[in-house]
Amino acid sequence: MDSQRAKEILLLYRPGASDANDPEFADALEQAERDPELARWFEAHCARQSLVRHQLKHISVPQELRQRILDQVAGHSKIVWWRRPSFHALAAAAAIVLVAGLAWFWTRSNGGNSFADYRDQIVRGVQRFYDANNMDMLTNNLTEIRAYLAQNSAPSDYVLTKPMEKLPGIGCNVLKWRSNKVSLVCLDSGNKNILYLFVVDRSAVSDPPRTDPPQFVRIRKLMSASWSHEGRIYILAASGEEDVLRRFL
Amino acid sequence: MALIDNEGRMPARPDLESLVDSYYSSLYQFAFSLTRNEDDACDLTQQTFLVWASKGHQLRDVTKVKTWLFTTLYREFLEKRRRQVRFPHFELAEVGDDLPRVAPATADQLDSGTVVRALGKLDEVFQAPLTLFYLEDYSYKEIAEILQIPIGTVKSRISRGIVQLHNLLTQGARASGGTRKDLHG
Repeated sequence: MDSQRAKEILLLYRPGASDANDPEFADALEQAERDPELARWFEAHCARQSLVRHQLKHISVPQELRQRILDQVAGHSKIVWWRRPSFHALAAAAAIVLVAGLAWFWTRSNGGNSFADYRDQIVRGVQRFYDANNMDMLTNNLTEIRAYLAQNSAPSDYVLTKPMEKLPGIGCNVLKWRSNKVSLVCLDSGNKNILYLFVVDRSAVSDPPRTDPPQFVRIRKLMSASWSHEGRIYILAASGEEDVLRRFL
Repeated sequence: MALIDNEGRMPARPDLESLVDSYYSSLYQFAFSLTRNEDDACDLTQQTFLVWASKGHQLRDVTKVKTWLFTTLYREFLEKRRRQVRFPHFELAEVGDDLPRVAPATADQLDSGTVVRALGKLDEVFQAPLTLFYLEDYSYKEIAEILQIPIGTVKSRISRGIVQLHNLLTQGARASGGTRKDLHG
């Protein structure tokens, strides 16, 4: 190795760093020991490298930056729980379990096609196989939810009550009950509570519920309210008592 | 280092505060070297941790967290600049003719501002690799990972960057009346 080549290699040498252990530098360092002129250049070069590095490491950092970062990230983290990326990942995995579970649950049932059968099975099913992590589609956009349901030939012309229209969506699913497609719209009613709204064609059952007033029935842990409207049957279900559902009717 | 436990093991995932304490200064210094503007550097540093808050869970190997943060900051910088220019590639062999002809004693003329200003005058493609080279003592492999360019390109850019930087610093020192002894060639 001649001195010119050694100089090219030593140009990348950082004194005090791990470069001394790099075999690529070993020959060049040996050449510097043999060539006094190269040795002088290398000494000067190391001094410059140390100086530049020292000065860059002493760029002053604004004192308030640390707190600003923590405050900003904390503010960012206050996004609603179901919009967190970890939730999205969990939702994708759990959706598979949900679809399989719901399919099994509803296909094994041999009940009739009364409204009570439909309501009980579908609300029980959602408690058994469904949680907040399970959605075909995850969005807070109610228009997108409606479009997704329409695209999948599920009831999409449903009418939301005014209080429900004001809630952000969470997502939706397309379910099946005795060959009838059921739209499940999930709404965020606050405090990590989900409103489940099931919509199915009125012809799916032999005895659809009345238009008004809604029928309230508790099915395990969920309270449900059912009514008919313009060819559709609606079931609204949520944790809590009747008064919780009434706020959204 | 707060991110390593007493037995030298990396915890499953560092908490945000530990992460900020460990890296916000060096990230800011990197950002400042790129932008030469305090506000922009703060913005980039904050944005980097915001990206961590939303996407950090995707990082499977937590030992790579530092590299991940620097990569993210650099990406944010590039996005901010919206540069359209392709980076030229210089071979290491091309450097030889330009090796710096500078004197050793410039310590009394140099401060952080001078170095950062000189970095800012470099061709853009040299700035980030050179800053990482000096600031964090990263290996060339790590710099290549952060900047997502081949290791040979990293070396050639650093070589040429050093030459440019030292020439700029020397010119600055000469302009300010310092005496120089040419040790090269």
